[in-house]
Amino acid sequence: MTVFLIWLAVHASQYLVFLYFLVVNSTYTLLILFALRDIVRHAYLTTARVARRQLASEFYYKPVSVIVPARNEAAVIAQSVKALLNLHYPEFEIIVVNDGSTDDTLATLDREFKLVPSNKPVRLQVPNEAIRGVYRSAVYPNLVVVDKENGGKADAINAGINVSVYPIFCSIDADSLLEPDALLKSSKLFLEDDELIATGGIIRIMNGCTVKDGAVTEIGLPASTLETLQVLEYTRAFLSGRTGWNALKSLLIISGAFGVFRKDVVVAVNGYRKTVGEDMDLVMRLHRHCRDNKIAYKILFVPDPVCWTQAPYSMKMLLKQRNRWHRGMIDALLANRVMILNRKYGATSLIGISYFVFVEFLGPLIELFGYIAIPILWYFKMLNTQFFIMLVLLAVFWGISINIGAVFLDIYNFRRYKKTSDILRLCVMSAMEFFGYRQIMLLERLRATLEFRKKGWGTQDRRGFGNKGSAL
Amino acid sequence: MLDLLTQSPHFYDYVTVAVLLLGLFNVFEILFLLYNKNMVERIEREKLALKRLASTALITSTAPAELLPGPAAEYEFAAYSEAIASVLDSFEGEIADRARALIGQLGIDDHYRRLARHRTWYKRGNAIDIMASFRLKASREFFLAVYRSEPVHDVKYRIIYGLSRLTREHADIRALAQMLSALPYLTPKYTEDIFYNIISALKAEGKEGEFGLFMKETLNDQSVQNLVKRDCINACFAATCEKGRGLLKEYYAAYPHEPEILIASIKALARIGDFSKMPEAMKNPDWRVRLAALKYAHLCCADLLPEIRAMLRDNSYHVRINAALALAKAGGAGRAALQAEAASEDKFASAAAAYALTQEPA
Repeated sequence: MTVFLIWLAVHASQYLVFLYFLVVNSTYTLLILFALRDIVRHAYLTTARVARRQLASEFYYKPVSVIVPARNEAAVIAQSVKALLNLHYPEFEIIVVNDGSTDDTLATLDREFKLVPSNKPVRLQVPNEAIRGVYRSAVYPNLVVVDKENGGKADAINAGINVSVYPIFCSIDADSLLEPDALLKSSKLFLEDDELIATGGIIRIMNGCTVKDGAVTEIGLPASTLETLQVLEYTRAFLSGRTGWNALKSLLIISGAFGVFRKDVVVAVNGYRKTVGEDMDLVMRLHRHCRDNKIAYKILFVPDPVCWTQAPYSMKMLLKQRNRWHRGMIDALLANRVMILNRKYGATSLIGISYFVFVEFLGPLIELFGYIAIPILWYFKMLNTQFFIMLVLLAVFWGISINIGAVFLDIYNFRRYKKTSDILRLCVMSAMEFFGYRQIMLLERLRATLEFRKKGWGTQDRRGFGNKGSAL
Repeated sequence: MLDLLTQSPHFYDYVTVAVLLLGLFNVFEILFLLYNKNMVERIEREKLALKRLASTALITSTAPAELLPGPAAEYEFAAYSEAIASVLDSFEGEIADRARALIGQLGIDDHYRRLARHRTWYKRGNAIDIMASFRLKASREFFLAVYRSEPVHDVKYRIIYGLSRLTREHADIRALAQMLSALPYLTPKYTEDIFYNIISALKAEGKEGEFGLFMKETLNDQSVQNLVKRDCINACFAATCEKGRGLLKEYYAAYPHEPEILIASIKALARIGDFSKMPEAMKNPDWRVRLAALKYAHLCCADLLPEIRAMLRDNSYHVRINAALALAKAGGAGRAALQAEAASEDKFASAAAAYALTQEPA
């Protein structure tokens, strides 16, 4: 009996690992193909002519509230707000929500923007912690600062929603910079389609770029390998991942760093829920709300509007970030578990959520299982060494081609990285990722799985938007 | 299954070939990446140069076609069409005539007519977009023919956009309104854009009266969606169409239960200084209509201060705030009312009044 069980376990593990390998790589390959089709179509339809028409006409826009949750962001907040004030958009307000900062965030805002108290009644549409005060800039009438008790990022955005006056809101991280036309490009979609309820643009890493007056002026790869590997990851996640999910109508994440939403629908789902994965949770609840109430809707990712963000520059920070992301994903999946393999939620459930459950959530466990099983099988002389080597080679080469495919999507249409040396470096990173980096991330995701009930974001270390030489 | 696979005599040969092919594919991907980068950069440079050349030739030469090489590649057509569209947007008279003539001389129109029948819908859509930017009268019949056979809504919306820039008379507008009503409603801004184009095209021809005629005909036309009628009113207001203005009150009266049309009419009427419907609108059961009226209340309704003051207790947050702001802008009497309300026991009313008192008077 014992022998039979061992035999069964050995064979089952082989099947499981092999199946996982096939499913993951096939999914990524399909996503790249879908993304390529979507990007080519997007390039055709997003003509300069259309953008010019939108810019030229003062009647054709919807005003937008830009909500910036900020906790202990004194190092970057002034430059971030200055950059937002320079957005090319006819009518918008910026709402900075000081989420109980213990540093000089509020004082910095007061010093830079001359804040005066505002006693406009706040309409509580979604829950948030107590608001201590609302201020308006005496210099920039469209800048509002909300000072509130600490409640986390989700709570801060909820407070921003309550204070906002416009029908569309954009949430953006305080350490991120929007390109001047990013808001125009993303909110334009709301003019073109009444069914659109949420959209997000691409997040790019500003480490290695030159930042001047709150704008990225020169684009380049960071010097450090760790940061460059993250550039590759972001390129793959956004251009092949999200664009591909878009095509499959199964987009489940709009990055918390830059998302644009229709306020009435977000209010209808009671705003953001307090969790570390508030961005994925919100999008999942939006899907649920619209499907449950038979509301025609669209949630789209567009690869054009760009938001630049700082990536962690040390391994410690990176692991902390990935741990948080993974915990957030698990929490969002658990909170919305009714959507798992539920035909009522269509492709979103059967394709999108299935991928997150079986690849993103269970994937690290299966990979770890594989890593543990190999030496055991080898020790008991049950490992087919030739097959194992071939499988590893196949996995690595397939993975590299997926990575280079993602780089190709970027270079083909957007060509942000213009230097040949940068492109070649990204290709080299496409291979390097498989030797060490991927395994470290895997272990952190496993750790996050074990401690997913842990709350909180932990502290964040900010460098400020300097130039590439000094800061990034 | 794995045993079956690995025991097959050629299994490892196949896997080895697969690994080698993937390796080769990776090398090919990198080479293609670099080749594509260089090619796109070259095309961009050439396209820019061609665009500049075309713009200069159109402005400075009486026979630009003689100076310009015939387009062959797609990017060359794109460069010429962008240059021509830009010249047409910026110039009138002889230069614009030359630009229009060049479209035919270089075969640009024929090229995009062919593309407008391409099997890929977004290529058809792009071709229609480009042709629409030329505003060629001769494109009108072509657009109508393509519309009849076009199966994709996304392309149909683009054709309607192109047709809206070529409108000649009220029958055309009526046809466009019916096309819009037959398709799933896209967005208010899109429909407004269509009517804005129509008004602009008619104004350019000195036929603005045709739009007034259309609005009159459409007033009770059931085949045109109410949302389309609303957008028509909004466009009329945005494009300052004098001829449609006379009908705004009729629209207001004809659709008492359509808040969207009431709001559009109130806004448009207020812009032309007609506030006669405001007292009635401020009592409308729909809060959005009350809000729209309140936005202009300070301009007209000194004798309505008690009614506005009562609206500080409205169920809607937006109505309360705007009632307070209307009082704040209504001069001494309004501010006195606000001061009294600021001490009110009704917390909603007092908060709105206190806020409005901090605002600058009109």
